[in-house]
Amino acid sequence: MGRKTLLAVAVSILSVTITLGSAALAASAAADPFNKVSNELYAKAKQEGALVVYSVWDVEHIVAILGAFSKRYPGIKTNYWQGRNPEIVTRVVTEFQAGRDSVDAILSDNAPPVIRAAGAIMSYETVQKDFLVLHDPTMPIVSLQIQALTYNTKKMKREDLPKSWEDVANPKYKGNVALDDPMRAGPLSTQLAALKDLWKDDARFARFVKGLKALNVPVHKSTSAMFRLVISGEYAIAMPALLHDALTEKEKGTPVDLVVTAPPIVFPRYAGIYAKAAHPNAAKLLTEWLISTEGQAALDSVGREASRKGFQSKTSIENAYPAGTKPIPVNDKLFMEDPKKWLDINVKLLWEG
Amino acid sequence: MVKLAYRQGILIPLFSSILAGSLIVTPILIVLFRSITTTRLGAAAGFTVENYFRVFTDPQILPMLNNSLLYAAGAAALGTGLGALLGWIVARTNTPGKALVELMPLYPMLMPPIMKNIAWILLLAPKSGILNGFLHESLGIQEQVFNAFSLPAMIWVFGLTCVPLGYLFLLPVFLSFDPSLEESAYIAGSRPIHTTLRITFPLAVPAFLSAFVLNFLRGLRSFETPVLQGSPGGINVFVAKVYDSMSIEYNPGLATAYSSVLILVSILALVFYVRATRFSERYATITGKGYSVKVIDIGKWKYATFLAVFAYFLVGIAIPFVVLIVVSLIPYYDYETFMKFPANIDISNYYRVLKHPSFVSGLYNSLFLSLAIALTTVLAGIVMAFTIYRTKIYGSKVFEFIGTMPLAFPPLVLSLGLVLALIGTPAYNTLWALGVGLFVAYFPYALRNASGAIVNIHKELDEAAWVHGARWRHVFFKVTLPLLKPTVAGALFYIFIEAIRNIDVAVLLVAPGTEYGPVTLFEYFRVGQWAEAAAGGVIYLIILILAVSIAKFVFKIKFSL
Repeated sequence: MGRKTLLAVAVSILSVTITLGSAALAASAAADPFNKVSNELYAKAKQEGALVVYSVWDVEHIVAILGAFSKRYPGIKTNYWQGRNPEIVTRVVTEFQAGRDSVDAILSDNAPPVIRAAGAIMSYETVQKDFLVLHDPTMPIVSLQIQALTYNTKKMKREDLPKSWEDVANPKYKGNVALDDPMRAGPLSTQLAALKDLWKDDARFARFVKGLKALNVPVHKSTSAMFRLVISGEYAIAMPALLHDALTEKEKGTPVDLVVTAPPIVFPRYAGIYAKAAHPNAAKLLTEWLISTEGQAALDSVGREASRKGFQSKTSIENAYPAGTKPIPVNDKLFMEDPKKWLDINVKLLWEG
Repeated sequence: MVKLAYRQGILIPLFSSILAGSLIVTPILIVLFRSITTTRLGAAAGFTVENYFRVFTDPQILPMLNNSLLYAAGAAALGTGLGALLGWIVARTNTPGKALVELMPLYPMLMPPIMKNIAWILLLAPKSGILNGFLHESLGIQEQVFNAFSLPAMIWVFGLTCVPLGYLFLLPVFLSFDPSLEESAYIAGSRPIHTTLRITFPLAVPAFLSAFVLNFLRGLRSFETPVLQGSPGGINVFVAKVYDSMSIEYNPGLATAYSSVLILVSILALVFYVRATRFSERYATITGKGYSVKVIDIGKWKYATFLAVFAYFLVGIAIPFVVLIVVSLIPYYDYETFMKFPANIDISNYYRVLKHPSFVSGLYNSLFLSLAIALTTVLAGIVMAFTIYRTKIYGSKVFEFIGTMPLAFPPLVLSLGLVLALIGTPAYNTLWALGVGLFVAYFPYALRNASGAIVNIHKELDEAAWVHGARWRHVFFKVTLPLLKPTVAGALFYIFIEAIRNIDVAVLLVAPGTEYGPVTLFEYFRVGQWAEAAAGGVIYLIILILAVSIAKFVFKIKFSL
């Protein structure tokens, strides 16, 4: 084969590669709607020039995430206020009633559905809905709160562990379990809402709640303090703990581990857009960016669980649990919007007798 | 009333008190009004008594209120009693090591209550606590002697938090004591200890009751100790109902209705205080006669009193502080890891706290505002106490109730009232709104402190000035205020230290982008990162201890001493 022929073959291969590569890139851009929508939103958001976020997340996390967002989208000045869920609901609903436009986006778990029920959330459906583990057509789910059954490895042998959430109600665990208060809007009531929806069996649900009550163990109103007491050895089993906390502690060498046979319970962390937002496009851009792989990486870098399907991180369910583990989602609308009413209907009588 | 005030030349204090009272009453009236017109946040209900009906038919109220009263009264008695004893030791005895003895009761004030809670839980937890572990390992005692999750432990920890207030209220009274009263007893043959018990302490009753009432109300609405220590022990207190109304039901109207029970208890406590001190002349320890405070020689007992002050210093700050230092330097807390210290030292928690985006800025931001608030609040408190106890305006005692009322409201409800009062004004989302919020939150401390102290000043002093034609400003600035100097210093110090770390009332009033207070520290506690929280607490305490020591020794600033 002559030199000219070789050159012609090489040029042809290169041309075919470039053509195929360009086609693939174009196809992937079309398949990832984020690129298109972000360009449109960024142009409008730059004109708005600012973005105010209210969040329940740690200040450290908000600063890191908004910093990454500002770097990616220069020209949008970001600001934040951090509070607990009741404080966020109180502030947003009060500002809404007074006609103020102090906030654009609300990053939180329990607060946005309650604010939405008060009419203070602008309905927005993400263009990336097909990529999400959980989807809500009115508020983008940008992260997940994942509950895990966790135990102190110094206090309990692996063979003695409960195999499922339901097993925890076994009387043999009396004195070993730290129980979150099921009558407050906390992790255990969230879990009960998820399990009731999963089982669709009232008798089984009643047995479970009554079983927990029969353990006669103290209930905790602070889940974080409860988890610390499990680590310290005061209790052996945390009912429940957050996956992120458990994995972070495990990595540090703390004697805690997951009961991987109990599937994780997943609860959405929303980015709600305020109904009277002064910078709605900036708020939409933030939510779309948070769901994109880049935004999910920013969330993962501060230890927040990803909401995007197949996103690999240390706190992803695929990484922490055996293959094929199916998470149990919380879907009950009444629980999310009015937890007190849900608890009164479904748990109060069983728990308080 | 205005005519009378004009005739008496006291229009300015009267109007100042009305202004301060209005700032307090407005948010309170708004939330009270909403408690009969709204249900869930955002839902108007017209006129409704549903919230109050639910409160007064709630079967859990009585047992929870019972727990609350036991807890608050126990902690207030322990804290105020111990504070009074320390005040007396420091002011009136020849206890050795004066410089140390003067400072030791002050330092525990610098430690935020939640840090005390965490440290004492680690010390007293039944299975994993340091003390039970030590008794088990060293002495073979199998029983769990200590239990952090019990009513006595709750009273102990919150009682320790109440000591500084008792100390700062009582110390000025013991320091400004006319010795002729005690000398008469000595001449009559009374021994020092009998004189102290029968003359000195009874004369300190108004200040003691003032501090007791304040500590009692703080106990009634305190939430951290009941959440961290009470609920794991099955001890549920009344204030949990108020918080549940906000955090589960998002119903400030119901929270206010529950708070009305606290308002009733507060009114009863204040009626008790006003009645107990109604013959204020009986308690006047500062009179027109010249005097110098006499230090009592308590003989060999001076070593016991030194030990008492030192013991309080140990339990009030030294032991919890050491526990937190160790916890901040180990990877995680359990008894085994704790006892292996200093093996496995890990300083990464300090690194993380220091590089936190808001640790330094939050502390810095709150520094100046807290100072301004402390000055304004204390001055306004004294003016109101002056109006109540030094003028003859009919009904001025009502200011006692108005000025103490914010203590009956949980911080979030009070904060909401302030937001509603300010949201339509240009002050909303500015530093002014935050300033008003902190003023309202701390006014009760300033008023109770000034009320307790002013009762101890005999009226003859300002009456002499009035008789000689002095205007109110002469009486106030040249007679009353100088005599209250030790009280003012103590109250300033206390409110400054408290306001610098306030995040509860401030939270809804902070504008986006402004960090207030060392929020980082409390955030770590809240999310359960105790090691980072301990590291933040250690840094925070070192800064405050250094600041107090520099103020004391370099700039010769006296904190009531």
